[in-house]
Amino acid sequence: MSLRKKTGEWIRQSVFVGPGLIAFSIIVLVPFLLGFYYSFTEWNGLDLNKAKWIGMDNLNRIFANDEKFWASLAFTLKFTAVTVLITNGLAFVLGLALSRALKTRNFLRTVFFLPNVIGGILLGYIWQFIFTKGFKTIGEFTGWPLFELPWLGTPGTGFWGLVIVFVWQSAGYMMVIYIAAIVGVPKDLSEAAVIDGASYWQTVRKVTIPLIMPAVTVCLFLTTSNAFKMFDLNLSLTKGGPGTSTQSLAYNIYAEALVNNRYGLGTAKAMIFFVLVSLIAITQVWLTKRKEVEA
Amino acid sequence: MKRMSALLMATALVTVMAGCGNDNDNNGAASPNASGGSASPASTESASPAAEKKDVKIKIFNFKVEIADKFNQLAEQYEKETGVQVEIETHGGGEDYNALLKAEIASGSEPEIFNSEGFAALEPYYDRATDLSGEAWAKDVVPAAAAPATVDGKLLGMPMNIEGYGIIYNKDLFAQAGITELPKTLTQLKDAVAKLEAAGITPFSTTNEWWSIGHHTINVGLAEQPDPVEFIEDTKTGAASFKGNSVYENWINYVDLVFGHSQKDKLTTDYATQVSLFATGKAAMIQQGNWIQGDIDKVAKLNLGMLPIPLDDSGKSHIYTGPANFWIVNSKSKYPEEAKAFLNWLATSETGKTYLTKEFKFIPALVTIPATADDIGQLGAAVSEQAKDAGGWHWGRYPDGVIQGWGAAMQEYQGGSIDKDKLFEKFDQAIKDIVQ
Repeated sequence: MSLRKKTGEWIRQSVFVGPGLIAFSIIVLVPFLLGFYYSFTEWNGLDLNKAKWIGMDNLNRIFANDEKFWASLAFTLKFTAVTVLITNGLAFVLGLALSRALKTRNFLRTVFFLPNVIGGILLGYIWQFIFTKGFKTIGEFTGWPLFELPWLGTPGTGFWGLVIVFVWQSAGYMMVIYIAAIVGVPKDLSEAAVIDGASYWQTVRKVTIPLIMPAVTVCLFLTTSNAFKMFDLNLSLTKGGPGTSTQSLAYNIYAEALVNNRYGLGTAKAMIFFVLVSLIAITQVWLTKRKEVEA
Repeated sequence: MKRMSALLMATALVTVMAGCGNDNDNNGAASPNASGGSASPASTESASPAAEKKDVKIKIFNFKVEIADKFNQLAEQYEKETGVQVEIETHGGGEDYNALLKAEIASGSEPEIFNSEGFAALEPYYDRATDLSGEAWAKDVVPAAAAPATVDGKLLGMPMNIEGYGIIYNKDLFAQAGITELPKTLTQLKDAVAKLEAAGITPFSTTNEWWSIGHHTINVGLAEQPDPVEFIEDTKTGAASFKGNSVYENWINYVDLVFGHSQKDKLTTDYATQVSLFATGKAAMIQQGNWIQGDIDKVAKLNLGMLPIPLDDSGKSHIYTGPANFWIVNSKSKYPEEAKAFLNWLATSETGKTYLTKEFKFIPALVTIPATADDIGQLGAAVSEQAKDAGGWHWGRYPDGVIQGWGAAMQEYQGGSIDKDKLFEKFDQAIKDIVQ
């Protein structure tokens, strides 16, 4: 009796969870475990049977002499810090502005959200054109020094070029999350604050922000992990150049595995990357979770 | 509404399928416009009236999409003359030719002839590539074109064509600046640059494209080593280095000349912009190869020539040629002898030669095949003319990843963030990173 019940339960579980689990295993779990194995081998990515077990050599190599990997890590950290700040600042301000009673509200929301619909590769190419041709033409007409810089041609402009496009692309999405949260703040609380004599900014700071902390958590988490994993934009906008000065960590891994044909070393880097992303994500969620309050 | 969308769906499906169908037709040997054959030079046809139809069919796995139609016509011609059927299957352009070739061979179908690049790319096919050194045409192959497929003295493939690069110059702008004698040494090139600048003309159109300023430019120094192959092998073991190498000490002067006297926004100029600057007459020289002819012709009819690249004042300067691709005879296929005969016919018969130059627009890799500027363009003719003592393309001797590292270093040097010594260090480091 109880055995039959148990089998029934099993069948039900596997019918409902099974398909998803199988897909997840094939697409995520198995490749991940394989990657874990390959990170200890020397392999060119072609014939599976030619992967040679070399133990910790890949990791030793990365930690002992792989300047480019560490340079790209430094670049990625800097990029993440800058973009997370700017994106969230901008998205929050946009969210505040577009949750007020404006006539063009819906139109503007669409406009700011639109860049997010275009894929990163395409955006990169569009902006590459804007930076190298558009900015140049504006510079020729106006003579403004900002537009006369060799955009994307120097490490500095390459970095800020990436930041601009990344912020432009992701601020719209974060804005939508902020709008949803701001609209969800109970009216009575802000009204009470106003009656008590609080100015607009005081209300924002003391009432709105504490109440939308869950949204802040989500947005910070999304922007951090997106910025840290940035790849498509990097590939199409600067190709990591000039030189390797704007090479993100993800791009460095890609180049190691698919350009240099060192799959083993590439997956070893990817494993380090995975650990880093998890660490950052966990700490950051844990930190902001503590700040969340309930109304 | 629902029916409407179903109809649309069905139409879409049919279109897609029809698209595939067409594709197959093109790939097959019988291309509809080939049977007419009026345009093709069929002088030999009457000499050998349709030979006995043999029951032999050779298959060619072709990678050059641009010649697919003409190649099919040629196959028709060959069948008329010899009775051997030639089937051409073309994969290239947007398709991943190398992967498809591997899949084809893995599936057990062994085409008689297939395309492959030389050096490292050819290695997986060493056991299939037939030694062609004994063929009648083998001694006429341009040396620089034979090198990538020459292993232990054996020629493992027939080079399809050659491509070459040097300093391409605009004859009219040179005349305008009063340059009467073509620069053969670095000092003369500097003089020419000064004259151009005095006439208000930008001397060079350059780019930040990693492959152009990277391995194309760096190869000049490699090819000018007393023994390029030895130097390359020594750099791999660490016995030789770029830093302190006398050829590269001269080479950097040429690089500085180009970078120092090119258009203002070179750091953001990609390949297409570089070529269009030159094509519109805004710069007088460009370090590129004959492959830019087509793009230039789209913009303007220019009077062009190709200068060898001078590194010093010795007067011994060269252009650099290499083969784009090879025809490999597959020894594991059914009719390797017939395949050899086909290549032989291609290289020696009048029909074959005419097709190579006039129809395929190839710069011939054999010295016995004449080519005129009308057939292959001014630049092609210039390359063809200087091919006999041109330097080779040596970057293929390094494993993947090295040239990418070089390209990155050159971009940094171009941007001024590293100096000469650091640049050479980075060249050495790029090799060490990959080879060690």
